[in-house]
Amino acid sequence: MATKQEILDALADYQVQCNDNKRLRKMQRDWSKLIHFNADDTGDKFTMNCVNGEIVSFEAGAVGAPDIIVSAKSEYLCDMFWGDLNPSQKYLQGEIRVKASQEDIVRLDAITMIIWPDA
Amino acid sequence: MEHDLKKVKENALSDFSRYISPMKVRTMKAAGLDIIEDKREGACVWDITGKKYIDCQTGSGIMNVGRRNNEIIAALKNALDTYDIGVFLLCSKPKADLAKKLAEITPGDLACTIFGVGGGEANDAAIKIARGYTMKKEIIYTEKAYHGHTGFSLSAIGRESYKEPFRPLMPDFTMIPFGDIDAFKKAVTNDTAAVILEPIQGEGGINIPPDDYLPAVREICDKHEILLVFDEIQTGFGRTGKMFASEHWGVIPDIMTVAKSLSGGLYPISATIFKQEIQDFFIPHPFIHLSTFGGSDLGCVVGMAVIDYIQKNNLPEHAEKMGKLFRRGFDRFVKDFPALLLEVRQKGLMMGLQYTNESIGPRLTKKMAERGVIAIYTGNDPSICRLMPPLVITPEEVDYVLNALEDSMKELSKEAGLGKND
Repeated sequence: MATKQEILDALADYQVQCNDNKRLRKMQRDWSKLIHFNADDTGDKFTMNCVNGEIVSFEAGAVGAPDIIVSAKSEYLCDMFWGDLNPSQKYLQGEIRVKASQEDIVRLDAITMIIWPDA
Repeated sequence: MEHDLKKVKENALSDFSRYISPMKVRTMKAAGLDIIEDKREGACVWDITGKKYIDCQTGSGIMNVGRRNNEIIAALKNALDTYDIGVFLLCSKPKADLAKKLAEITPGDLACTIFGVGGGEANDAAIKIARGYTMKKEIIYTEKAYHGHTGFSLSAIGRESYKEPFRPLMPDFTMIPFGDIDAFKKAVTNDTAAVILEPIQGEGGINIPPDDYLPAVREICDKHEILLVFDEIQTGFGRTGKMFASEHWGVIPDIMTVAKSLSGGLYPISATIFKQEIQDFFIPHPFIHLSTFGGSDLGCVVGMAVIDYIQKNNLPEHAEKMGKLFRRGFDRFVKDFPALLLEVRQKGLMMGLQYTNESIGPRLTKKMAERGVIAIYTGNDPSICRLMPPLVITPEEVDYVLNALEDSMKELSKEAGLGKND
């Protein structure tokens, strides 16, 4: 189980990794989404705002009307933001659930592939 | 030896990733479909490491006559003794033979053909013909439609994500809901040239229209002098239990496009077949639509052999029989797995399983691959699994697929994230 603060720390690192990656920023420059992350086991919720490929903010709590909702155990969310698991595998095992268009699911996976090619 | 083959596979995937598409390799690996196709025969394909799969995807219906059908291979080999692609500006006997055969087997008074290489090109030609012949501009198409990724066809795809990065597209295309005759009536104007439809939507999720839809579309087209274009690229050549799906409703289009299985899975070819009266557009413009490789002499020989094989072996009837075997299993699964399977949509061997949510398509694809069946969710809707096996599939292979599906569903039933709201 991961605490709210642990997930926020992981999100902070994820934001840096994404925003500092020029290739990723260019690739995702036409992608603006409000994303909610739900930790099933702890009930914690998080909101991340991505504008033109840049993660402009993240915070605890479910804020606004999301384009994408990602739900998983808190530990999986934390590992995903640290690049310690392959989100596609967990998605295909039903451990990570995503409410989004197929295109947005691929976009999320593409972020992982670019930042952590071996994840 | 086994180790060597695994290494060959790893290298092929690595090269594919580096030189073609890293995301495609990643997606296929995640779905358990990182197959390097090696031997192919009938309804089956073998991965280079030797694992056998029953192919229920078949490139969305390319392999109606089975993979590497011996009779089609023999026809192609024989043609290679004499022919090459041919010079597209010249007339040719194989082209004339196949065009004549298509006129014979297509419904009603469809009579003339323009050949192409792929389905998108065939639909491009259909839309160009519609505008050229009617001298009107507007094209009506449907939500979730799939007609290919080329210029005019892309504008008629009913999925925004395929189009959005490439705007501006062709002007004067109007999208309406599939199966909604009132929406069609409202969309018609004095400048409507054509409506393009798949009689059964493939990529959109095996959507079968209400029985009165296509006849009503025909009636409105006649009233307003609108050309009716049927895209039979996935549904044609026996797939649905009839030679062409539109025959289920007795509706004859003005233009029909075919591709995929006309190739026998061996040589690319497509055709845009239209009524004799439309030929009048081409009389003053005989060179207005050309395709260097379209209707190559080799492709036309293959197309003839494919049609002969389908007719000789009555594959539409076989598709209907095998479809019924599948249906028995599906009906049981709808009762046994209500948390997974909502409904089945089917005509012959064009089959769609509607799951309860969008995550189930990819997850069942992976489980089916583990059990030696290639069964992939549709591109426009991952909550639907499209099953389009070769029409030569045997009863034993149908049983194998059903057993794999049942086992996969049993296993998936124990996992998380199966609700309608997940």
